[in-house]
Amino acid sequence: MLRFESISKRYGDIQALDGASFSVPRGALLGFLGPNGAGKTTAMRTVFGLVRPDAGSVTWGGAPITPAMRLDFGYMPEQRGLYPRMRIAKQLAFFGQLHGLAKQEATRAAHDWLERFGLSDRTGDRLEDLSHGNQQRVQLAAALVHQPALLVLDEPFSGLDPLGVASMTDVLRDQASGGTAVVFSSHQLDLVEDICDSVVVIHRGAIVLDGLVVELRTASPHRYVEIDADNPNRDWYESIDGVQLVDPGPPLTLRVPAHLDPKMVLASAVGDGDLRHFAFSPPSLSQVFREAVGQ
Amino acid sequence: MTWWRSVHLVAIRELRERAASRAFQVSTAFTLVVVIGGLAAAATLGGDDEQVFTVGGVAAPRPGIVAAIELGSEARVEYTDFATAAELREAMLDGDPAIGVVGSDTVLSGPETSPELLALTTAAVAAAGLDERAMALGLSSTDVQELLGGGVRVEEVTDASDDEGRSFIAFVGAILLFVSILTYGQWILIGVVEEKSSRVVEVVLGAVPAPHLLAGKVLGIGALGLAQLLLVLVIGLAGARSLDRVGLPELDAAAVAIITFWFILGFAFYATGFAVTGSLVSRQEEAQNASFPLTMVMTASYFVAATALDGSDNAVLRILSLVPPFSPITMPVRQAGGDAALWEIAISVILMVVATLALLRIGGRIYSGGLLKTGGKVSLREAFRSAETG
Repeated sequence: MLRFESISKRYGDIQALDGASFSVPRGALLGFLGPNGAGKTTAMRTVFGLVRPDAGSVTWGGAPITPAMRLDFGYMPEQRGLYPRMRIAKQLAFFGQLHGLAKQEATRAAHDWLERFGLSDRTGDRLEDLSHGNQQRVQLAAALVHQPALLVLDEPFSGLDPLGVASMTDVLRDQASGGTAVVFSSHQLDLVEDICDSVVVIHRGAIVLDGLVVELRTASPHRYVEIDADNPNRDWYESIDGVQLVDPGPPLTLRVPAHLDPKMVLASAVGDGDLRHFAFSPPSLSQVFREAVGQ
Repeated sequence: MTWWRSVHLVAIRELRERAASRAFQVSTAFTLVVVIGGLAAAATLGGDDEQVFTVGGVAAPRPGIVAAIELGSEARVEYTDFATAAELREAMLDGDPAIGVVGSDTVLSGPETSPELLALTTAAVAAAGLDERAMALGLSSTDVQELLGGGVRVEEVTDASDDEGRSFIAFVGAILLFVSILTYGQWILIGVVEEKSSRVVEVVLGAVPAPHLLAGKVLGIGALGLAQLLLVLVIGLAGARSLDRVGLPELDAAAVAIITFWFILGFAFYATGFAVTGSLVSRQEEAQNASFPLTMVMTASYFVAATALDGSDNAVLRILSLVPPFSPITMPVRQAGGDAALWEIAISVILMVVATLALLRIGGRIYSGGLLKTGGKVSLREAFRSAETG
C-alpha cells in the first residue's frame, strides 16, 4: 500500500501541499482529483523522489520509499517524454532493464506491450516518427513494461479521444484487478466518476474528500432534482424548504435537502400536466467537489 | 551492486545510441580523413624535400661514384653518361648535370655545383680509384661499399628537451585532446539538454538516481570518445611508421599512453562540467551560451599548450600544467616533450583528480537539482539548493 502521511511542500509563496494524507491499497484504482494547481503533480512526484516534501512522509508497505523500491513502481509523468530518436522496442526494453528486468525478459515484455497496443509493426521505428496518439501508448507501455506493483499516472486521460479513453480505462482496470495499486490524477471529475470506485480530492494542497464515489455522493446533504413537465404554476417549488434553483431549464434543475421524499417533490412538480423527465439523485462528483470547496 | 547496474545500463544505452547516430559516424569519418590526409600531405611534402644530385660522366667509374655520393649524403644521384668532355661541359653550363666527372681522375665544377656536392664527388672519385683497384684485386662492389662506409657507425646527437619531432607530436596530442574533449563534452551537453527538454528525465529519474545517470552518461560517451581517439592514434601511429623514411616524427607508444591517460582525466572533469551546464538550461539554443566559460578555459589551455611548439618550456605553460582544469591539455604537451619532472606530473595528476572529485560532488548535486527545473535558465544556487535526495 502506498501511503501519503501529512505531506507538505512549499515553493516560495505557494503552499503546494498542506498536510495531505491518503492511501492507495494494492488492487485499487484510485482517482486523484483536483483543479489545476491543487498539488496533484507535486504529491505524485514525491513518490519518485523528484520532490522532497518539507514535512510528512511517503511510505510503501509501511516503510519510507527507497530507490530500490522505486524499481517496482511505474510512472507516467504529466509532461510526457521519452527519447525521441530511440527505437521504440529498444526504448521500452531499456526502461524494463532500468527497472530490474533481465535483458531478454525486458525485450519480450516490450514486444508484448507493443503488440497489445497494436504497434507490432512499428517496433523498429523511432519514437518521433509515431503519431501523437501512438507516442502516448508507448509512454504508457514504458510505465508498465516491468509489471509494476504501483502505477502512478499524472493526467493519463488528457489529450485522449473517446476511444483512447476507453482503451486507457481498460488497461488501468486490468492492472488494478491484477493486484497493482493504481493511482491517477485528473481534473476531469465527470470522466473519473465513471472509471473509479474511490477517489481522493485535493484542493489547495489539502485533501478535502476521500472515499468511495457512491458514499461521497450519498453523504451529501443535498439532492438534485431534474424535471421536464408541463406545470401552469411556474413557481411550484418555492414552497419547498431549503430549495435552491440551479438551472431554470428545461429541464428545470433544483437543489433540495437530502431528506425530502422524491414522491412529494414529483407530486407538487407535475400537478395536472404531462411529465417527460424526472430525476432525483445525489450530486455528481463534480457537484460534491464544488460543495466541498465552497464554490 | 545495484548502482553499477543502473550506471552500466545508462552507459551502454549512451554508447549504442551515439555510436549508431549519424553525428558519430560523420565525425569519425571526418577525423580519419583529416588524419590520413595529413599523413599523405606530409608524405608528399617530405617527397619534395628529397635532394637529387645530377652527375654527368665521361668514361667515369659510375657505380662507385653513385654509391659513394649517396652514402655520403641523404640525396639520390641521377647519373648521365656523356660521349665527350665537350658535351658534358656544355650541358653543365645549362645547369644539368650539376657536376661532371671525366675519367677516373678529373672532376668538373660548374655554376650549379654546390660545395657539398663538390666535396662529395671529389671524395667519390678518389674512392672510385680505390674501387677500381679493388675490383682489379677481385673484390665485389658490395665489398667496396663495406670498405668505404659500412664500418663507420654514424650517431645523431640530440637533446631530448629540444627535440622538434617530440614537440610536434606533443602539439598534435594537444590538438587531439582539445578536439576530443570538446567534441564529446558537447555530446554530453546536448544529451543532457535533450533528456531535460524531452522530459524523459522524469521517467528515468523515477528508476535511476541522478548521480548514476550522470556517471553512466559520462562513462558511455567517454568510452565512445576514447575509442575514436584510439582509432585515430593507432592509424596515425601506423601511418607515421610507414612514412618514417620521409622523416615524419615517430608517434610512439609512450605518447599514445600519455594522450590516453590525460583524455580520461580531462574528459571526466569537462564532461561533468558540461553535464552540469546542460542541467541548468531548458533548450539547446541556450546550451551553447551557457557552456561558453568551459569552452573558454579549454581554448585558453590549448593556446598555452601551443606555445610549446617551438620547443620552449615557458613559465605560463609550466604553471598551468599543474593547475586544474588547464592541466589535461597543457601537461601532456610538456610530458610528451620530455619537459615535465616526475614530481610535476604527480602534482598535476593529484590536483586534477581532486578537482574532478570535488566537481562530481558539487556538480552532481547541481545536476540533480537543475534537471527537474524547467522553463528558462536555472541559477547554480537555485539548482544546488533544490537538489532532491533519496
